[in-house]
Amino acid sequence: MKKIHKTIGIVFMVLTIHMSAQEYKFGKVSKEELLEKAYPLDSSANAAVLYENKKVSVAYSTDKGFQLITEVFKRVKLYNKDGFEYASEELFLYKNGGNKESVTGLKGATFTLVDGKIRETKLKKDGVFKSEFSEYYNQQKFTMPSIEEGSVIEYKYRVISPFLSIIDRIYLQYKIPIKKMEVKVESPEYYSYKKFSTGYLPINLKETTSNDKITFTNKVRSRPSHGRGGSDSNFYQNTVDFRVNQDNIESINVPAFKEEPYSGNTENYISSLSYELSFVKFPNEAIDYRSTTWEDVTKKIYKSPNFGDELKKTSYYKDDVENLLTGVTNEIEKTSLIYTFVKNKMNWNKKRGVYARKGVKKAYKETTGNTAEINLMLTSMLNYAKIDANPVIASTGDRLISLFPTLNGFNYVLTRVKLADGSVFYLDATDKYGVPNVLPNRIIRGMGRVIAKNGTSQMVTFRPVKPSANIYQMQCQIDDQGVVKGKVSINHRDYLAHNFRVANAAKDDDSRAKRFEKKYGITELDEYTIKGVKEYGKGVNERFSFTIEDQIEAIDDEIFFSPLLFLRDKENVFKSDERQYPIDFGYGFSNKYMINLKIPEGYEVVEYPKTSAFKLPEDMGQFSFRSNVSNGVIQVVVDETIKSPVIPADYYPAIKEFYNQVILKENEQVVLKKI
Amino acid sequence: MIKKLQLILVAVLLCVSAKINAQDDLSLQAILIDSVLTENANAIVRSEDIVIEINSINSVTVKTKRIVTVLNKYGNRHADLSEYYDPEIKIKKVQAIVYNALGQEVKKIRRKDFKDRSVYDGGSLIDDNRILYFEHTPTEYPYTLVYECITENKSTAWIRPWFPIGGVYLSVEESKYTVINSKKIPLRTNEKQFNGYPVDVKMGDQELTYKLSKIAAIEPEQKGPPIRELVPNAKVALKDFSLVNVEGSAMDWKSFGKWQYDNLVSGRGELSTETIRKVDALVSDADTNREKAKRIYEYVQKKSRYVGIQLGIGGWMPMLASDVDRLGYGDCKALTNYTKALLDSQGIESYYCVVWRDDYKRNIDPEFASLEGNHVILNVPDGEKDIWLECTSQTLPFDFNDSTTDDRNVLVVKPDGGEIKRTKKYMPEENTLHTIATISLRPDASIDAEVTSVSKGLQYDSRYLTKLESVKDQKLYFKEYWDHINNLNILSLDLEDDKNNISYQENAKINARNYATKAGSRLLVIPNVFNRVSSKMTKYKNRKTPLVISRGYIDTDEYIINIPAGYLINKLPEEKVFATVFGMYKSSLEKVDESTLKYTRKLRINDGEYPKEKYEEYRQFMSKIRNADKSKIVLKQQ
Repeated sequence: MKKIHKTIGIVFMVLTIHMSAQEYKFGKVSKEELLEKAYPLDSSANAAVLYENKKVSVAYSTDKGFQLITEVFKRVKLYNKDGFEYASEELFLYKNGGNKESVTGLKGATFTLVDGKIRETKLKKDGVFKSEFSEYYNQQKFTMPSIEEGSVIEYKYRVISPFLSIIDRIYLQYKIPIKKMEVKVESPEYYSYKKFSTGYLPINLKETTSNDKITFTNKVRSRPSHGRGGSDSNFYQNTVDFRVNQDNIESINVPAFKEEPYSGNTENYISSLSYELSFVKFPNEAIDYRSTTWEDVTKKIYKSPNFGDELKKTSYYKDDVENLLTGVTNEIEKTSLIYTFVKNKMNWNKKRGVYARKGVKKAYKETTGNTAEINLMLTSMLNYAKIDANPVIASTGDRLISLFPTLNGFNYVLTRVKLADGSVFYLDATDKYGVPNVLPNRIIRGMGRVIAKNGTSQMVTFRPVKPSANIYQMQCQIDDQGVVKGKVSINHRDYLAHNFRVANAAKDDDSRAKRFEKKYGITELDEYTIKGVKEYGKGVNERFSFTIEDQIEAIDDEIFFSPLLFLRDKENVFKSDERQYPIDFGYGFSNKYMINLKIPEGYEVVEYPKTSAFKLPEDMGQFSFRSNVSNGVIQVVVDETIKSPVIPADYYPAIKEFYNQVILKENEQVVLKKI
Repeated sequence: MIKKLQLILVAVLLCVSAKINAQDDLSLQAILIDSVLTENANAIVRSEDIVIEINSINSVTVKTKRIVTVLNKYGNRHADLSEYYDPEIKIKKVQAIVYNALGQEVKKIRRKDFKDRSVYDGGSLIDDNRILYFEHTPTEYPYTLVYECITENKSTAWIRPWFPIGGVYLSVEESKYTVINSKKIPLRTNEKQFNGYPVDVKMGDQELTYKLSKIAAIEPEQKGPPIRELVPNAKVALKDFSLVNVEGSAMDWKSFGKWQYDNLVSGRGELSTETIRKVDALVSDADTNREKAKRIYEYVQKKSRYVGIQLGIGGWMPMLASDVDRLGYGDCKALTNYTKALLDSQGIESYYCVVWRDDYKRNIDPEFASLEGNHVILNVPDGEKDIWLECTSQTLPFDFNDSTTDDRNVLVVKPDGGEIKRTKKYMPEENTLHTIATISLRPDASIDAEVTSVSKGLQYDSRYLTKLESVKDQKLYFKEYWDHINNLNILSLDLEDDKNNISYQENAKINARNYATKAGSRLLVIPNVFNRVSSKMTKYKNRKTPLVISRGYIDTDEYIINIPAGYLINKLPEEKVFATVFGMYKSSLEKVDESTLKYTRKLRINDGEYPKEKYEEYRQFMSKIRNADKSKIVLKQQ
């Protein structure tokens, strides 16, 4: 029995659950199932999977050799019309060269109770739609006939695939609940797969082995080449006994997966299992590793002609880099020159990937390329200039985080530079607004591995250590008519400066100013100026002056307002009562406000919000409010800081309350009274 | 001597070619563009030349040459490098060249560089539309794209119209549209919004040309009409045409509708006797045709569901009613045709109607018959009135036009020809929201409240679907709806959807900590707890487009507010009344007794289109309402 990897947040529970046995036979839908009005454990479910059986196996056939067979049998209850979307299924079938995935044995029927009798309507050809989706995918869709509220649909099919290296992610949870699910994954000992899982639900997985045999009578296509490529031919003329490894997963009453706002990538939280081919070993043959350890994976990537070899090429940029570095000896200066050079010259084509597609040479000539081309080029140039630079293979934040060593875990390349003094910088030349250690949003939630020259690697993350700040300064005065005139200066720092540039650098001043009119509801905004948009690495400063009439309220002989005026927080973004997944802000941040507010002549301050401060648990964030009144001027200094980019779900009530208190404090009123 | 001649020739050739290049360069050089065209523009159509050659009623060739200069990343979408096609359309040529700001060639994109894939939108079950596209990565701005394409379409029922100004923030240096009709197939044209634009029109016997030059970029404005209602455009239609091998002939809506009826709708409504018997039983005890139609509509809603089907003539012709009956699904055409067939079986007349489904009230042009619309609904004449049925919805009430099909011209396809009719318009009096609440304010500044809202008309439409969501999402809906109440807790919800009377009632019990603000011995309270106008409208120094208030409504609110013991209100605020041509607002607070206040509010908004000068007045009206809705009262501790 193979050892099961234990990884963070995941528990494989090896248990035998004795099922109160309901038989699920295709075509035998029970009256009870049809009569059920709502899912017993979650009445809000529009549909539920009553039963799903999925069998994935690497099986041998005489003419095709080993193939990956996925058999699906699914029975779904449609409680109401909002569940009808689950009456259709779409399959994307991969194809490459002469090889393609195909669907066979598709059968299905809809069962509905009509006047106490079960009516069965079969899925016919006119409910099945096939089309060519793109160069690499065919598409097959089917939709079940004659469904009504309360119907039960059932279908089965088999997908036959010549691509053995990847078993598609097996979802163990859906957006609708599952009553019972059985999954079986089988492979002969020749094909060894690694598995990894996601989600917070325990997975009841049991591993067994059994014996099987094949009598070879002909040639065998047994060796799918790299990735999802074709296969080679080998000849065998004997009968072979072998072991079959089996994983059995049985789950009952799986709750529906619900999405939450501000979760980062929810794909990481849904319960699922994935398999990747780690090695192939046929009798009397050398073991053929596909991937096993991180070292193997990175070595494999490094050795690939589309990665390692691309790194070694220097001739295409040699002269340009020589020119660029003439007379420069300082390593910081060299790094900065090369990084800026690549960043300015190259244009990212929005394609991610670990491998160069058209090659660094062509990319350089065309001045466009994918993440691999641009950052491998950058790494290579830095190395050429004798800088200690290494490529980092990474996965972007919208990808599933891979907990297991797998070739599919990566879709991005960055560069890491280590200076003589030991300081480390991450560079990404695909981002025009980037600076060292300020990486684009797409990558900061992800993870990566730095690859050393010998192919060894080490895991790294990219989240910034220090919170980024927006600093607001406001000088204003109120007149006795309740009109406020003043000036605002906003400094965006670090990531917030980067975000500002991503969103606004290509806009003109007029549209930039309009942002504030919209956000703060200012109708009279003038003297808008901005500094530092192009000075990457520095902050951006925006200034404007304003006149507003609607932030002050005069009642009887008193005047009321919040000292932060339009800058105050008004609405708590966290509205749900509870939450299952962590809150992911991406990076830590601070909003700091410094307000100087002059009150009108003939009035005195009778009430104002007093100094106070509070904190989130574990020092994840803090809020402070300091106020002072002297000579008719109200001074307020506010600091809202979230230090921790990720806040565990357990602290949801704390962060919700934190924002409630922030809003409460910032909305406290100053009261002025006529003298 | 010969050598000399050669040299001269070479020199002359060089001159010629240099000259040609220079001319070309001029139009491609982005740095020489007039500032009228660059102001507010993300891209500039330098020149667009569309030539439509009508070869026969089964063939039309469209030649496009478009030169676009893109000034910044927001303009990339105007440098379109994609061509849609289907089995009727053959792309004969497609290529593009990218030039830099100096007019030097940067990249040539040939046909083989384009990718081909299905236009799969996830919404349709099947779709035979495809797209040929190239993903270009701009290496600098500005750049200029020269795009050339030739397509041949076997369907001539719809001919690519002239739409020279294809979007906002886009200026046009020159756009030209030519129709060559050498076979002299009778042709109809329709010109819209040419007024105020320097359109050059040339109408010949076999040729027709529209030309427009030097048009500055348009900025979109809040509450303005969509750009297609503002800019010049022209449509062309053939008297004799073909649609996916179905030939036709039409000069007006009557004949065009007749053709649609005969070729696309008629004969597709047959039902089995078993189904007819079922429908007989369903309506046997109904007294009126209206009641019968209602039962049939609800039967279709229960039995069927919507799926998109875009395949060949299936993109235009409904599936057979018997297939919908058997399969229980179809697209808008199929479900409408099926409902029609069921009504037919009971001798109730009904008509297939083509409509523009859009939140903006978009009309089928009554003046010009052409292949229009993107959706199909059913019209059931009921005496003097019309019943309109949206057959793709499983949830809408009977005889209800939601805001995507209300108040607009539609084409009614009748056996004796087409007819333009207008769908139901909802008057402000019909789109109502009435909210009553009892609110108890506590000394700790929190509130408890019971609130009941009844919505009707289009206000029903915008709310009733919440009932179908999970309790968690319903609560979130109310937290978003009342997002001005911080710390809001929804304690209970009771939602009642009365589809027969098209009335939706929401009962909620809520509380909120710190609803009021404490300031010393004062409690500052906003009496308008549940219905505030909160969004602010943009102020324009120079408004260019008319003001469109697409739908009117009336909101009424009555709240009883219990104030905590020991607190008193000094002075009641004055009643606020604002009356304008756009509507009326009135709010007031009165004392019921020492510890009880009553807040009442009424807001009426009239729909209509108003000249651009009126916009500022409307903005001020809404701004006054906004301020009134958030105005506070002061309660003082005694």
